Amino acid sequence: MEIKQGEVCCFLGTSGSGKSTLLNLMAGLEKPTKGTIKINGHFIQKMTEKQLAKFRQKYVGFIFQSYNLLPALTAVENVSLPLTFRGIGKSKREEISKKMLEAVGLKKYITHKPTQMSGGQQQRVGIARAFVSYPPIVFADEPTGNLDSKTTHEVMGLMLEMAKEHNETLIIVTHDKSIAQYADKIVYILDGDIQKIEEKNKEENYEKEGN
Amino acid sequence: MNSIDLFKMAFHNLWRKKTRTFLTVLGVIIGTSSIVVMLSLGIAMDQSFQEYIDSMGNLNIIEVNSSGRYYMDEQASKNQKEMKLNDDAVSKIKAIPGVKAVMPIKRASMKMAVGKMIGYVSVIGIHPEIMEEFDFKIDRGRLLLPTDKEVMIFGSQVAFDFTNPRLRNDYGGFSDKPPVDLISNKMILTSDMDYGERRSNSERDKDYKPPKPHEVKGVGILLESNSDKDWNAYMNMSTLKKILKEDEKFDRQNNRKRNKDENEYGNLKVKVENIEKVEKVQEQLREMGFQAFSLTDMLKSMKEQSRKTQAILGGIGAVSLLVAAIGITNTMIMSIYERTREIGVMKVLGADLPDIKKLFLIEAAMIGFVGGICGLLFSYLVSYGLNKIGGGFMGGMGGMGGEIGISVITPMLSGSALIFSTVVGIVSGYLPARRAMNLSALEAIKTE
Repeated sequence: MEIKQGEVCCFLGTSGSGKSTLLNLMAGLEKPTKGTIKINGHFIQKMTEKQLAKFRQKYVGFIFQSYNLLPALTAVENVSLPLTFRGIGKSKREEISKKMLEAVGLKKYITHKPTQMSGGQQQRVGIARAFVSYPPIVFADEPTGNLDSKTTHEVMGLMLEMAKEHNETLIIVTHDKSIAQYADKIVYILDGDIQKIEEKNKEENYEKEGN
Repeated sequence: MNSIDLFKMAFHNLWRKKTRTFLTVLGVIIGTSSIVVMLSLGIAMDQSFQEYIDSMGNLNIIEVNSSGRYYMDEQASKNQKEMKLNDDAVSKIKAIPGVKAVMPIKRASMKMAVGKMIGYVSVIGIHPEIMEEFDFKIDRGRLLLPTDKEVMIFGSQVAFDFTNPRLRNDYGGFSDKPPVDLISNKMILTSDMDYGERRSNSERDKDYKPPKPHEVKGVGILLESNSDKDWNAYMNMSTLKKILKEDEKFDRQNNRKRNKDENEYGNLKVKVENIEKVEKVQEQLREMGFQAFSLTDMLKSMKEQSRKTQAILGGIGAVSLLVAAIGITNTMIMSIYERTREIGVMKVLGADLPDIKKLFLIEAAMIGFVGGICGLLFSYLVSYGLNKIGGGFMGGMGGMGGEIGISVITPMLSGSALIFSTVVGIVSGYLPARRAMNLSALEAIKTE
């Protein structure tokens, strides 16, 4: 299986099918028992923990099902976390983070704590956090699992928009077929095996987005 | 991650759990202050020993006696080496490395008269040029100069020994004022012990010719030093030798025996460059066959004792700091359990592993440091209280610890206590921090 840069790829499968595991393998969170994963020329399975941390810092953004914002931090602080880990100064990273929050439509919520926000708002903070360092790859693990259908579409639209803007690869894991419709490439997974890979015409995809 | 962010984050994490942090810090406070207070007692003891010994004389000075006269020195008697303390010996001693100055002492008991007042005075001949080396400090007048001849200076207590023989009942009493002023141009110095006391003259031999009295000048009074210096009078060595030689003639006539070599000194005082070298020089002096004694010997045994006491006291304090250290470890482990998810998120978002370890180490170190500072402040308070209350008890012990008090916190002690408590924090935080670092990011996120 191969995913190109700028592609929106969706792993579709029932729970327990191994789609999340695949995502974790690609993000270097789990070690594969066999096989190789190559991202931008690096073999993920060969990296040490330290190298993986650096790799994630540089190449990967992550969106979680349960948002995983740090409850003690405000929205802007949460968004700037990846920049903090890179050692970027406070004023600069907050400036970038604020712009990011604006882009996801949370300008008013900059100093709110996660507990003061709704699920959709929290996930939007999560998205801002994933994209704030402009990583080439963004992984999203059931990003809309905890959201209602209206918010789901808002959030999906936002994610695609951001990914397209900087030609970033977006990899989404979901069991929701409607979400899979947003993707350029759908990978069907069942019991740990890839059943089929469905590639979509890009123009067709845009049309769908328009709808 | 830059360190300011790390510190901020660590502080934030501690601040979130105020009660728990406070309790852990409290443990460190108790631990630190118990160690500091205990050690401060030991230090105070040490210092009062030192003060006690200082009051007895200078620690750098070794007193040397010829071994001939006393047979207490085993080594010297075994060697059967009788060393004479003469100019030859002085130059030999001067050659020992570490020796700064040698003061030969020739002592003579003489009688002095100032006006009508008469007193027995122990006159010591010294070389004026080394007076400053041996801590002669002047209270009034001036020190001896190398050019001085019949000139004397006096210890602060000498004047009290003068009485007027005509007034039988007047023994000077215990008044604060000395009966005579010894800074005077008209003084008589004589080795005739009967000088000025007429009544005994009649009982004497008619052939008796008393030694000629010498006219001397008094030019200075020494500052009170609480040592034997207070009780002696000093004059130029060469003049004293001359006087003694002159008087000797009269002694011979009177069949008084004086078998001492006139070039031999009663004893020597050797000044050593610093206290550390005292022992070595002393050793060498003994090998040369002299008797050597210094206050350092005494100080050494006293220090030994106070070191033991300090070790015991410090050990007691250390137990409570150990308990505090366990408290820190416990707090950090608890905090890691609670924050497992948070750590996982940080890892997934690309936090460097050393950064995560550092974060927890800094938290633990902060607990130790803050606990150390508060504990130190508390120790100062306790120390102040102890000195206030305990000062009264110690006052009765006569000099010992009178001014020093019973608890002394030196800057050295407070500095090392602070470093120590911080290090304890870091050490107790190390294992939890490693554990946090090695948490699997995936496991951490899965925790719901």
